[in-house]
Amino acid sequence: MALIAAARGLYFLAAMLLFGGEAFAALLRARLPAIAPVKMAAPRWAAWAVALVAGCAWAGLAAMQMADALDSQVMVRSATDTLFGQLFLARMAALVLLAAVFALMRGHRLAALIAAALLVLPAATSHAAVASPAGFIAIGGTLDAVHLLTAGFWIGGLMVLALLFARKEPNILLALSLFSDWALVAVLLLVMTGMIDALQVLLGNKGAMAPPYLAVLGAKLLLVIVMLGLAAVNKFKLMPKADDRTIARNAAFELGLGAIVVLLAGALGQLQPVL
Amino acid sequence: MRKLALLLLLAATSALGHAKLVSSEPAARAKVKSPQQIKLTFSETLEPAFSGATLTDAAGRNLPVPAAVGASAITLLPMALKPGGYTVTWHGVGHDTHRMSGSFGFTVVP
Repeated sequence: MALIAAARGLYFLAAMLLFGGEAFAALLRARLPAIAPVKMAAPRWAAWAVALVAGCAWAGLAAMQMADALDSQVMVRSATDTLFGQLFLARMAALVLLAAVFALMRGHRLAALIAAALLVLPAATSHAAVASPAGFIAIGGTLDAVHLLTAGFWIGGLMVLALLFARKEPNILLALSLFSDWALVAVLLLVMTGMIDALQVLLGNKGAMAPPYLAVLGAKLLLVIVMLGLAAVNKFKLMPKADDRTIARNAAFELGLGAIVVLLAGALGQLQPVL
Repeated sequence: MRKLALLLLLAATSALGHAKLVSSEPAARAKVKSPQQIKLTFSETLEPAFSGATLTDAAGRNLPVPAAVGASAITLLPMALKPGGYTVTWHGVGHDTHRMSGSFGFTVVP
């Protein structure tokens, strides 16, 4: 259980860094041409490799979980005869396509689009999707997809800001202002979809809630509240003072907390909400 | 948005997460005449490749019974069962890849 939760969490973290990093880099290029392109080769290939390894590990462990055994036949049946497996194959195809885009193209838009697919495809097999009203996977799946994309924009955007801080970008305050405006919308959507998900789990069940699920959910919510506090301090207190050193420290802390939150979300997807 | 949230809450199923056995015919511990079919209904859509059920008699022998896995149900079609105790052992996997399993018994009366 711990292994599959870790593989799932790492896959989502890598996919979020890929999507958010490429999306915010594309936004920077379009809105702030004065800022030189961000050098993202090392983090993007690192995230790509983690997505590949963690994605394959997740698929192998999920096949073992489904069949209660693991051999080549189970792997093939899992990949071809289950929704999760078919989406896994689609995600691997998207990763190959993404590698080609990284190698051959300089822009970020197409890469952001492919990374978005990497991030949202697993939403169709999430707890939110399978618990959709009247079996309409699209309802819960869409909510989960919006939750993942907005979280990805937040975390991946913070990574791009960290790269700009590291190279001592002279126009960092402009970049911060742009990120802050877009992240505000992303975080609002993130919190709304997260609350709907959480309320559906907490109030939509007849049985008693499982303590491990509640503990992980509580820890995740607590960390998100700390992240929101740091973002609010950055936006409303430090940005007007142009205190970019403190902002950089807070943003790095926020990024670290975000990574822990995503790993906790990986565990939540494996835990049974109800006893 | 608030309306959407309320709609989702009202329509929420009773079993978020893993596929659970909701009901069965015959019910667990029921005393029935030889059933024409044994139907197990689950809380979520099943993955047929990894879901199924078997039937054993009181001596623990596996009975050869055709089984069909539908969207959220497993159906066994036994031949006429002799009076006695029987156990249905099932395993169900939902789209979320979680495997749930269990068993229940029923008795066939003359």
